Amino acid sequence: MTDSLLAFFTVIDNQCGVIVKEAPKFDLDLYIQSYRGRTRFDRLLLIGRSSVPLCVDALKAAVAEAKRGRDPQRYREAVECLRIAAPSEPEASFDKAWLENTETANQNETRRLTAELKGYKNNLIKESIRMGNEDLGKHYESIGDLNAAAEAYSKMRPDVSTSKQIIDVGRHLVSVALQRREWGMITSHLSKMPTGANSDEYEHLQPYIKIVTGLSMLGQERFLEAAMSFLAVDVNISSTNYNEVASPSDVAVYGGLLALATMDRAGLQQKVLEAADFRQFLEHAPHIRRAVAQFVNGRYSACISTLEAYRADYLLDIHLQKHIPKVYAQIRSKCIVQYMIPFSCVSLGTLEAAFSNPAQSIEEELFAMIRSGTLQARINAIDKLVTTVATNPRVKLQSTALATAQSYEKQAIDRLRRMSLAAADLELKGQRKTNTSFSGLGGAGDIIYDEATMV
Amino acid sequence: MDHCASVLLAFPPSSPLTNNDQYHRAAVAHVQRVDKMIKDNAASFNGYANQLLEHVDPAKNSISYIALLHTILVHGNPTPPHDDLLVAITTFLMTFDSRQIRYVGGPFSIVLGAVREGVLFPASVAVELVATALLRLDPTGTMLTSHHIPLVTLAYETDNIEPVLPVIEKTIVFYPGMKGPPETRYPCDMQLPPPAYITPESFLTTRLNVTNVLQYDLFCGMCFIQRRAWRQAFDALERVVSYPTREGGCSKIMENAHNKWLLVGLLLNGKTPTLPATTGQAAQKSYATHGKPYAAIGEAFGQATAETLKTEFESVGSQFWADDGNLALVRLVLTHYQRWQIKKLRDVYTKISLEQMRTRTQSAEATGPLKTEAEFEALVESMISEGMLNGVIERPADGKPAYLTFLSPNEELSEGEFAAKMLSTAQRIRDLGPVVKATNERLATSKDYLRHLVKEQKKDKQGQTDPFTRFEQTVDDEDLMMDVVSGN
Repeated sequence: MTDSLLAFFTVIDNQCGVIVKEAPKFDLDLYIQSYRGRTRFDRLLLIGRSSVPLCVDALKAAVAEAKRGRDPQRYREAVECLRIAAPSEPEASFDKAWLENTETANQNETRRLTAELKGYKNNLIKESIRMGNEDLGKHYESIGDLNAAAEAYSKMRPDVSTSKQIIDVGRHLVSVALQRREWGMITSHLSKMPTGANSDEYEHLQPYIKIVTGLSMLGQERFLEAAMSFLAVDVNISSTNYNEVASPSDVAVYGGLLALATMDRAGLQQKVLEAADFRQFLEHAPHIRRAVAQFVNGRYSACISTLEAYRADYLLDIHLQKHIPKVYAQIRSKCIVQYMIPFSCVSLGTLEAAFSNPAQSIEEELFAMIRSGTLQARINAIDKLVTTVATNPRVKLQSTALATAQSYEKQAIDRLRRMSLAAADLELKGQRKTNTSFSGLGGAGDIIYDEATMV
Repeated sequence: MDHCASVLLAFPPSSPLTNNDQYHRAAVAHVQRVDKMIKDNAASFNGYANQLLEHVDPAKNSISYIALLHTILVHGNPTPPHDDLLVAITTFLMTFDSRQIRYVGGPFSIVLGAVREGVLFPASVAVELVATALLRLDPTGTMLTSHHIPLVTLAYETDNIEPVLPVIEKTIVFYPGMKGPPETRYPCDMQLPPPAYITPESFLTTRLNVTNVLQYDLFCGMCFIQRRAWRQAFDALERVVSYPTREGGCSKIMENAHNKWLLVGLLLNGKTPTLPATTGQAAQKSYATHGKPYAAIGEAFGQATAETLKTEFESVGSQFWADDGNLALVRLVLTHYQRWQIKKLRDVYTKISLEQMRTRTQSAEATGPLKTEAEFEALVESMISEGMLNGVIERPADGKPAYLTFLSPNEELSEGEFAAKMLSTAQRIRDLGPVVKATNERLATSKDYLRHLVKEQKKDKQGQTDPFTRFEQTVDDEDLMMDVVSGN
């Protein structure tokens, strides 16, 4: 690693960014070709900031990408990064002329569009106002002013007249929310889009809606819901309908990984491997299909090593990066749990061999899993055994019955007590009680507690 | 004096009083006669009241006896008390006829008050006497009277908790001054629920205010804490914490109780307790703001390392805990941190070496694992002997390190044991029958409740109500009743 790269990644490390030292298995050019729109820059910049082997290439591509657009802030960001990482590259110096030109052009365009919109408003033609707002929103989005873009887009809503227009508004707003990573907003925007009413229009929209829903669920760490969304994406619609958000291979990876983390074997078999639509997606990511098949066939260690081989790739994905440690940990503990199912007793040595992890001893891992309730087992640290705990339905029934009876008794008493207190007018009221006719209690007066006070 | 003796001995008459009606008339007449006699002979009576005590049987002629005691205590010169008087009071309080006492609430309360003040008896005796007397008056112990609060305060402050236990272990469900139908039955009716005869009008109690009720439960909780009866302490404090409130009420006592409740919950269950659903909204808010250091302790208790707990404890300073009167309790929580850590290991391990346990668990006092294995072994052994830990320490013969085997509790009950447990719970619920009946009677004669009922029935007839809303109303009976009753 050169000194400048080292300096760059020290900065990233200080900002708590993810750093991936291994080279990923994908080719950067091919990878970025599957996308269009603003996500290209975001993805390139993320790879540039995370991957050591691809850093310079990705940042250079990001600079070029930014220059193709009209967003000066993005250009500055990319060049700043490149200046630290590779100062000798020609792209690492600011193109001041381009910056100034773009900024002036942007300002003029903003002024023009705002003036136009004003004119439309004066004329009170709904359709023109809607289009004016849309143009303004698109302009703001392209120059990177996402706040203003969201505002302009949402102003379109009062003037829409056809369901196609409603869908457009929704898509614009979702796109902005996605860039601002407002996962909750995505769901609410999506819920306002008409679904299924107009079947033709809805059909080509289906993958987009499913993918965006999945991403929003993923962002909120609701993995199962996210997996279900990705698995439901319709494969027959061309990817140009959604490639400003994700590529078909992304769909396969997101759906497969998250399903692996959340579903049981039967579910995986049925909803992933045997699903006609999703199988076609899996062709874009054969290793995911392999991992799922290995899991379903009970070859857990193989499944884990397949996934580990692709960890670097997934850590460079804009949406997965943040969740990979958690998703992988979930898959791993699921593997261990599944592995244990047929046995009543497993030796720690066997487990260690099957799931060796240089970072952590298997006992520590089991300890954490049992503590969190993922695994129902007990460790025998002396004889190095792990025994599974069988639930005894009889004991469960008995303790539940006793607990129910006791809580019934407790509640009955509590309710009687409360009724009596109410009847004796002894509820604590918000203001100071006045009926303190009670006096002359020796001892109690000595205590320095206040009377009931207002809070 | 002979005349006086004959008056005093006239009740109960030698021929048995067959029904409540007769008994009531005779008792009321007797009380009046005795009063009149004492008033008429006021000057001379004080002189020979002491002698009269010898002729009157405290268990049989309780009305007369209490009149004599009252006269001596109020009009005589009981200080310094002579032994005969003390014996007389003791015998009386241990043996009186509770049916008769229902007619002489005033003198009875005065005698109890005199005993409690601690001039006549040392505190330990006073507590025991008052506790016994209260339970004789109301064997169910379900009614809170104005004597309860000073009693439990005295017991706690003088550390005489044992004798008061029979009283504070009872479940209180009745309070003086409950609104209800005018009582038509005679006080001497032995079937009466306690609130029917222990009333402010009978002078067996006075009216209470909110502070009194809260204080009683708080002191009960503190007594149980003193005895390390965590379960009972927790329940008592929970009664204060979830005290019914209206219009955003909350009191200092409740906040204070909440802090103790949280600490006791940690000791009892090893985790922060959750507030009962019935806790008032304003109270919950107030607990959250005023109990922050305690909540922080609770949160730190659940963590795997002891550092936070220690920091939370030290950051506010021991003076803070001492000012709240909780220093000893917080220290105990700190001690118990490691114990709970050890106890929780049983959810993960069946066998584990002591050395491993020592490194895995941390002491909140030393902020880290205990230094030596011997120290740790002593801790584990004490836990086993106290019954907190179900396991044995085994030392292999081949010189390998000692380890602990967690014994699996015999969770499964035999059919018989299970049935017995269920039966005892069912019996306890059945025992609530009289209380439910009394509450029901009171409610059934409440004007507002009847008005509400009539309205409901009318609506039903007109078929206006949606079956679901009606269902909701009946299910949510607690709120419904509270509204109705408090609306009186």
